[in-house]
Amino acid sequence: MNTIIIDGLSFALPLFIMAIGGIYCERSGITNLAIEGLQGFGAFCGALFAVCIAQYFAGNSPVPFYLAMLFAFLGGMLFSLLHAMLCIKFKANQVISGVVINILAMALTEFMTKQINASVFGAASNKFVLGVSARITVPVLSQIPVLGAVFTNLYPFEIVIAVIALITWYVLYKTRFGLHLRACGDNPHAVDAAGIEVSRVRLIAVMASGALSGLGGICFAYSISANFSSNIYSGYGYLAIAALIFGNWKIMPTLGACLLFGFARSGGYELVKVLEMPSSYQDLVMVLPYVLTLLMLIFFSKKNHAPKALGVIYDKGAR
Amino acid sequence: MKKNSNSIIHKLIFQTIGHEKRQHYMIPVFTIVLSLIFGAVVIALLGNNPFKAYYNLLQGSGLAPKASYAGHKGMITDFTSFLNALTPMLFAALAVLIALRAGLFNIGVSGQMLAAGFTATILIGYSELPAVLAKPLVVLIGFAVGALAGALVGYFKHRFNINEVVSTIMFNYIFQYVVSFLINTFYVDPVSRQSRNVGAAGRLTLVDVVIGDYKMDIPLGILLAAVGIAVSAFVLNKTTLGFEIKAVGSSTRAAEYAGIQVGRTRVLAMMLSGGFSGLAGVTYYMGYFASIQPKVLVSTGYDAIAVALLGNSSPIGIIFSSFLITVISKGSTYMNSASGVQAEIASAITGIILLFSACGAFIKYKAGRWKEEQKQSGHQASDGRAA
Amino acid sequence: MSDYIIEMNHITKRFPGIVANDDVSIQVKKGEIYALLGENGAGKSTLMSMLFGMYEPDKGEIIIRGEKVKIQSPNHATKLNIGMVHQHFKLVSNYTIAENIIMGMEPVKKTLGLFRSVDLKKANEDILALSRKFGLEVDPTRVIEQVNVSMQQRVEILKMLYREAEILIFDEPTAVLTPQEIEFLLEIIRSLRDDGKTIILITHKLEEIKKIADRCAILCRGRLIDVLDVASTDTKTMANLMVGREVSFTVDKPAPKYGKEVLRVEHLTVRNEDKYEVVKDVSFSIREGEIFVVAGVSGNGQIELADAIAGLVKPAGGTVTLNGADITSCSIRKRNLAGISYIPEDRHNVGLVMDYTLADNLALKSYFKEPFSRKGVMHGEEFTAYGDRLIDKYDIRSSQGNDTIVRSMSGGNQQKAIIAREIELGSSLTIFVQPTRGLDIGAIENIHKQIIGERSKGKAILLISLELDEVMNLADTIGVIYNGEIQKIADAGELTSSQVGEFMMGVGGRHEEK
Repeated sequence: MNTIIIDGLSFALPLFIMAIGGIYCERSGITNLAIEGLQGFGAFCGALFAVCIAQYFAGNSPVPFYLAMLFAFLGGMLFSLLHAMLCIKFKANQVISGVVINILAMALTEFMTKQINASVFGAASNKFVLGVSARITVPVLSQIPVLGAVFTNLYPFEIVIAVIALITWYVLYKTRFGLHLRACGDNPHAVDAAGIEVSRVRLIAVMASGALSGLGGICFAYSISANFSSNIYSGYGYLAIAALIFGNWKIMPTLGACLLFGFARSGGYELVKVLEMPSSYQDLVMVLPYVLTLLMLIFFSKKNHAPKALGVIYDKGAR
Repeated sequence: MKKNSNSIIHKLIFQTIGHEKRQHYMIPVFTIVLSLIFGAVVIALLGNNPFKAYYNLLQGSGLAPKASYAGHKGMITDFTSFLNALTPMLFAALAVLIALRAGLFNIGVSGQMLAAGFTATILIGYSELPAVLAKPLVVLIGFAVGALAGALVGYFKHRFNINEVVSTIMFNYIFQYVVSFLINTFYVDPVSRQSRNVGAAGRLTLVDVVIGDYKMDIPLGILLAAVGIAVSAFVLNKTTLGFEIKAVGSSTRAAEYAGIQVGRTRVLAMMLSGGFSGLAGVTYYMGYFASIQPKVLVSTGYDAIAVALLGNSSPIGIIFSSFLITVISKGSTYMNSASGVQAEIASAITGIILLFSACGAFIKYKAGRWKEEQKQSGHQASDGRAA
Repeated sequence: MSDYIIEMNHITKRFPGIVANDDVSIQVKKGEIYALLGENGAGKSTLMSMLFGMYEPDKGEIIIRGEKVKIQSPNHATKLNIGMVHQHFKLVSNYTIAENIIMGMEPVKKTLGLFRSVDLKKANEDILALSRKFGLEVDPTRVIEQVNVSMQQRVEILKMLYREAEILIFDEPTAVLTPQEIEFLLEIIRSLRDDGKTIILITHKLEEIKKIADRCAILCRGRLIDVLDVASTDTKTMANLMVGREVSFTVDKPAPKYGKEVLRVEHLTVRNEDKYEVVKDVSFSIREGEIFVVAGVSGNGQIELADAIAGLVKPAGGTVTLNGADITSCSIRKRNLAGISYIPEDRHNVGLVMDYTLADNLALKSYFKEPFSRKGVMHGEEFTAYGDRLIDKYDIRSSQGNDTIVRSMSGGNQQKAIIAREIELGSSLTIFVQPTRGLDIGAIENIHKQIIGERSKGKAILLISLELDEVMNLADTIGVIYNGEIQKIADAGELTSSQVGEFMMGVGGRHEEK
């Protein structure tokens, strides 16, 4: 039981922070299918930086990890500018832009990982080895029965994510900027008439999405895969999108969807272990979140209301 | 001075692209040229000669002679091998294209390929059927399984309003892991860690055919692909089904108003799309290759998106764009060994081509506006004269 | 210092292909109601958009309160105390009234003295006070999508007042209102003027100008024709100046000759996506040679009624019978073949495939029939021949004839193409939904003639209209719809326009006894 909660949380939270980024982007009216690519590119930037500075720190120092998080944050933001440029400035089809960015991110990072490994580190490898982040247990709180597991063997990034999630919630629902952002997704003309620059709000929303996706990506790199390689592109970005659709583009319900994914996954692994099935059965467990996504989409898609202006190219002149 | 030269470049670019009649091929050409320049700069920065690298791509694809060949090998064997790789790409691009015409984005081509290829492998590839029976059956099963997978996506979209991008991606992972599980559990070759090789009878490529001095692989699928292109061009441009697919693709509400059954048309379009993915799958896994690597989705399905966008979503256009993208990906291995440029740059260049393709609408818009401005200033000038 | 608050001198504005304003000069005094009169496309809205900072003029100058200004953005206009109510409201549908009004100028509070957040409580109080002050009462906490159009308009007006606008521009404010709501609005505008505000009213409705405006500028095809003192000019003169020729206000219509019943609708009920009943238990019938007009204010279920008859939405209950056959559960295609033509409200998204050529659009409902196609294979030459014939017969103008992509055609010609296609189907019932919306007077006259022509041929016609004039001019029978319910069905001769107006408000029939 404890393992299910511990592993489930460590999968659900990075997913959640990526989904929040998606909510920001989509509530501002820009379709974001690029989360997958953004998290990958962000993770690449973070991992690259971590590998570069690793020699200056002791093997168990947590500093490179935090710096990697910062750089993944920035890297994702940087790459998201592409999506912003295509969708806002070039008025390209937002779905196509998203898919293109995913493919480009994968191709570029794969190429650069190999190239950098070859020319800087002199090794023929297609990954940056990172190791797994250390875990912490919150004293007292972890002693609570059942729920204590939530505070046991935490990755530090889970706390970072929780804090950032709180901030993003506050910004989206309580501040002036949040009010403008959500209005952009419903009727950008109204926002424009109120003297607020729609493209600026959307640019910031897309960048926030990129940054949070990058953050999510590096967390996966430091936990599930323990390295950066093309394995990072395992569809987590799309799971985040599915989660935000179930969450009806709202932050709290989206958290619920992410937790469901996380626990389904960790529960499945636990089952394989308990029943002592051969390791190839893990592949079947891997299928679980995706099947769950499809099933949930079947039940929820019709009920949910996407932001009204989502995916509509904003043209100031048109009414 | 700088501004002046800028405007000359502007003029040159827009004059070439601005012409409406030429636009549909000038924009892709422009896109490709930009991407190749970008790639060349990267290659040069890495200290390699970009012209040599690009020439290597041609050599690797059997389009230019290499310095030396192994026994029974020559430019012609490289070229048939290139055609072998081109075949699934053509089918995959057709799959993306047909869905795109119906306004759907099939990024599940790779998954559909895998599902079709795997089913045909275990049903026919491992059977003892004679070639005359086995080969047509492989084609049929490939098409049917792909069509089924595609139709399911279309049905989900129609019935439950599920975005096809999300559902195709989910199916990609589901197929990938389920097939991987099945291969590892039942069909694994313990040495290669891949699925066991299929028999020659079911394979759609004739392997090691001796012609003259050469031993070459002859892809039978390329003929099928030619037929596929002709059929899709006919269906899209000359039939009521094509009329309906395109109407649904450009405006679902108008199509519905015109009495077209939008759901049925979407499912049909996705069936056709999936069917072609299936053919891509069998020509890949039972033609170009003879086995399946577990846990890996081939990049063909994603490259096909670039091919379809670049080919301006026209069946004829994709002949050219598939050719180009396949040269880049197929030739990259040889480029790596000959020039030392990482083979992965091939997909990076493809990605850049994709990126520029996505801007196509913007380039078109800019070119249109530039023309409008020219006209306007022309008018103003003539107004001035009149006054 | 002049006594004008606004001077726009020698304004010229070009858009690709047209000159929207050609050397237009207007001067507006403080505290007057200044009307801008002109047909669609005369350049009224463009002129005001420049005053509101949405475009910059190519030539000319704008002087506000004696100072020459370059208004670069709506923000800038707001700083100059200029406000505008646009024809299409700019409201966020899932926000409350208060959130909409304060957007861009939100009151801010500090939670825990640290976190800045929007002070909604203060906003609600402020807006309640403001709305009471100007007699425009609203409930600030209600969500926009749950209030009606006239309330939404109030919100737009309050938005300007919240920003302390002194110069208020109204762009066709009465287009979406019932006669009674119009009266109320005009009253509000008058009282705003009495408060010292300067008001510019864009409209093409002469009665309104006559009722409240002090002066009136008439625009025609981008040029300023004249500026008139309203009190001393009659409406006929204004109309002639506006159109540039004599206009007749009535339509020639011979006495009706009814034949057998074509359409019968019984107890029809339609629910929208949220399961809310938008059409409630509607029954009526239309005979050959009859124009049945459904009159009503926008959003009262008339579009859904038309969609349900044409098959675009499935009814929740009731039956639709065409020429004696029950078609309630038939597909759209079957209904078309059984004899329904439909000119939809939304010509861009529904009536046309914008990326198709004109020829393809003209054959949009017959492409699958012989001779256009046989056994699923289409014959291009038939499309061309048919297209040529319709283009000629209906005078559809475009740059490249059959091969023109309809997106590039003008609105009037797009509408001509739709009407040509639908009339040529030769259906026994033709449904027109707001066929003249957004067209100029010439085009409107033409469409009215075509509707009457169809009637003379013995077709049944269902016309859905928001314009009271159109209703009174064309109808043989009037059915007034309010809130999804038919309030009254009567021969056109039995109702006056003000009675129709009362039924449109849902308050008709109360005085019937006297």
